[in-house]
Amino acid sequence: MSFLQNNIYYIGAFGLILIGLLIVLVKHNLIKVIIGLSIMDTGINLFLIAIGYLRNGTAPIFSSPEVESVLMVDPVPQALVLTAIVIGVAVLALALSLAIRLYKHFGTLDLRKIKELKW
Amino acid sequence: MRSVFSLILLVVIGAGVVFTLSSIPFGSTSSDVGEYYIDSGRADTGATNIVTSVVVGYRAFDTLGEVTVLFVAAIGLGAILAAGRENEEKKKAEWEPASLVLYTGCRFLFPLILLFGAYVFIHGHLTPGGGFQGGAIIASAFLMVYLGCRKKRISKTWARNTESISGLVFVVTGLTGLAVGGHYFLSNFLPEGTLNTLFSAGIIPIIYIAIGLKVGSELTGVIDDLIEESE
Amino acid sequence: MVNPVLLIAVPLGLAFMVPLIDSASRKLTRFVPVAALMFNLILCIRLIPAVLENPIVINLGGFTPPFGINLFVGPLGLLFAGLISLAGLVVSIYSLSYIKNGPVVKYHMLYMLLLTGATGVVLTGDLFNLFVFFEILCISSYALVAYHGDRAGIESSIKYLIQGTVGSGLLLIGIGFIYGIFGTLNMADIAMKIATVEQSTLFVPMILMVAGLGVESAIFPLNAWLPDAHSSAPSSISAILSGIAIEVGLYAVARIVFTVFGISDIYLFFAFLGILTLLIGEMCAFAQSNIKRMLAYSSIGQIGLILFALALATNNTVTGGLFQLVNHTISKGLLFLSAGYMIYRSGSMEISSLNGMGKRMPLTSLAFTVGAFSLVGLPPFAGFPGKFLIVSGALLKGQMVINILVGLVLLSTVIEGTYFFRVIQALYFKDGNGERKRAPATAVTAMITLMILIVALGVYPKFLADFLSSASSDLLDKMSYVGSVLK
Repeated sequence: MSFLQNNIYYIGAFGLILIGLLIVLVKHNLIKVIIGLSIMDTGINLFLIAIGYLRNGTAPIFSSPEVESVLMVDPVPQALVLTAIVIGVAVLALALSLAIRLYKHFGTLDLRKIKELKW
Repeated sequence: MRSVFSLILLVVIGAGVVFTLSSIPFGSTSSDVGEYYIDSGRADTGATNIVTSVVVGYRAFDTLGEVTVLFVAAIGLGAILAAGRENEEKKKAEWEPASLVLYTGCRFLFPLILLFGAYVFIHGHLTPGGGFQGGAIIASAFLMVYLGCRKKRISKTWARNTESISGLVFVVTGLTGLAVGGHYFLSNFLPEGTLNTLFSAGIIPIIYIAIGLKVGSELTGVIDDLIEESE
Repeated sequence: MVNPVLLIAVPLGLAFMVPLIDSASRKLTRFVPVAALMFNLILCIRLIPAVLENPIVINLGGFTPPFGINLFVGPLGLLFAGLISLAGLVVSIYSLSYIKNGPVVKYHMLYMLLLTGATGVVLTGDLFNLFVFFEILCISSYALVAYHGDRAGIESSIKYLIQGTVGSGLLLIGIGFIYGIFGTLNMADIAMKIATVEQSTLFVPMILMVAGLGVESAIFPLNAWLPDAHSSAPSSISAILSGIAIEVGLYAVARIVFTVFGISDIYLFFAFLGILTLLIGEMCAFAQSNIKRMLAYSSIGQIGLILFALALATNNTVTGGLFQLVNHTISKGLLFLSAGYMIYRSGSMEISSLNGMGKRMPLTSLAFTVGAFSLVGLPPFAGFPGKFLIVSGALLKGQMVINILVGLVLLSTVIEGTYFFRVIQALYFKDGNGERKRAPATAVTAMITLMILIVALGVYPKFLADFLSSASSDLLDKMSYVGSVLK
């Protein structure tokens, strides 16, 4: 039980990443694939945050001059996640706009039916 | 067949990950770099939110790249949607007007949300929050107006120019640092002020305001493009 | 001294400014990329003497590494930055007349940002910063592949996006692991600390990062997106994707494998991977009847060859590999640019529709021929010294396995020669109808510039080879990299 308690964030993070990857690999609907990518992104963000976590730590913010700098979590992964979230949003927006166009052209989002370029 | 292969691949990845994670115990890792930031972040950058001092101070160049990523995505989305739209005739769908309660509620909330967004990015160096968060809040205000007041539209030129000018402010601030502030790109050339006050942390508030405006107008532009597409 | 950070800051600032310029004057926006890349090219040339003496390390924001982000401008980085601005400048001149329809302003902005992202990747000394710039490069190329908004473009763009996003996800997980293990993101700092942990721990992060970057750099088996994306993008973008984007991906792989990890046991594996990529690329190219797909597969093959040369990790082969890389950027650029106008005239991408082009478009056909000869590696052109250096350097190693691989390289050159001569035969020795017409002046300027470069590099290879030799020691000498960043 203590194994689960100690590693619950890692398990959750990689659970999300692997679920996302599985969706990308086996699903045929483009929207589902995009959702899979998004789940994977979320998992990665959780993983990065978990890397920098310190047990019983607080946020690294000195909101008043009295706050002491003991037991603060690592600020670097948080900064990285901020960047990673923005990049995720950017890719998501682009993917959805492509999905709109794809639907206009092909009338379907089923990736099995969109195979004109295979030789 | 495909799903069996995928599962095998995932199991392999999972096994590798478990193996590597065993050398990174959870909840006790502390890095030299992270500790340095916590100890001297306030003295180096003047920001009391250490995450901000990392995002806009130590790793400001990343943030410049990040802003650019969002910019690229917004332009890319516009380009993709515009490319297909050219050879289609425009047909205007008639929208049913929103009810009075919804309309008034949106108009009432709109300035308050804007104010909140501005608060979040102006106080980025003191409290949790910052340019990206504030920008997203501002864009959500516009999204609400689009959904609730239906016929209202923002001016595209206005949004594009805000985006453009605030992006320029970021780059020019960096270049000013290169010119006067110790010859480094993005270095702080303004006085750091007193900790925990609004006018402190040198260039950090300036950059965060620029980012807030940029992200706000960019996401609004994205929403605008997508809504135009649905008409 | 000029500051190398301007290579990134100035194009970025100009790209942000484009909407403002656009509202002032419509016509001016087309020339912004030309101006930005001209500026970058001049800056690169001015930096050469200083960089050859000592690599320039710039601490951004004034924070010393590993606390701040630093740029590392060594001969290798400068070579890539120069190549990006050179190819970018030529293609941006070509685009002036080639891109007429669609959201033109957005095209020029995306184009400029793509090249800025590429410049950032090759200059940065920070792992996460590399990821961010890599994303700029990738996202702008997803959008540019779909620029025309036609069926093929959208379909290949979405395929590219899905594979690229999974790739960058893997890269980010790898970076997360590295941060967890070493507590730092600075590449020099990691390289210094790499010996303090067991090699087996580093295996998974390295695989994840190489796989993530491998998607963009088209290493087999991660290159399924490439033929589609490169063939359905506008030709000017195909030239940049083939000539710049995959090379930059390869640079990132090489930097991470050589400088950051530096575990020499796995180099032979990469050599095998390179040969496999080479053979598959060339054989698929042989089977194509669509000219742009043929060129795209040929890019896969060339990347395999360059990877093979880099993986042998001796000064000679790396110099040869980099020479081949420069040659590939210029010749493949020339091939795509000339094919672009031939396709524009004939209205079809089939090789058979190019029959008799030698009479209808003499200059464009000549450009295609020069590019093809150079890529195959015929003597008076730039391809010869590169392949010669790779083969002779590999044979010098004197290992049986590598000799066999060199045999395969020569075999692939024969395949490459065959399919290019098939096209050239169609251009000159088959009859086709249609009137004689010139390409526009801007396109002609671009193609002639590249042709002159190819011939010049082929006749005076020593000029470039000396610079490449110091670039290859920049790549292989891990200790001096660490030393110059963490003073």
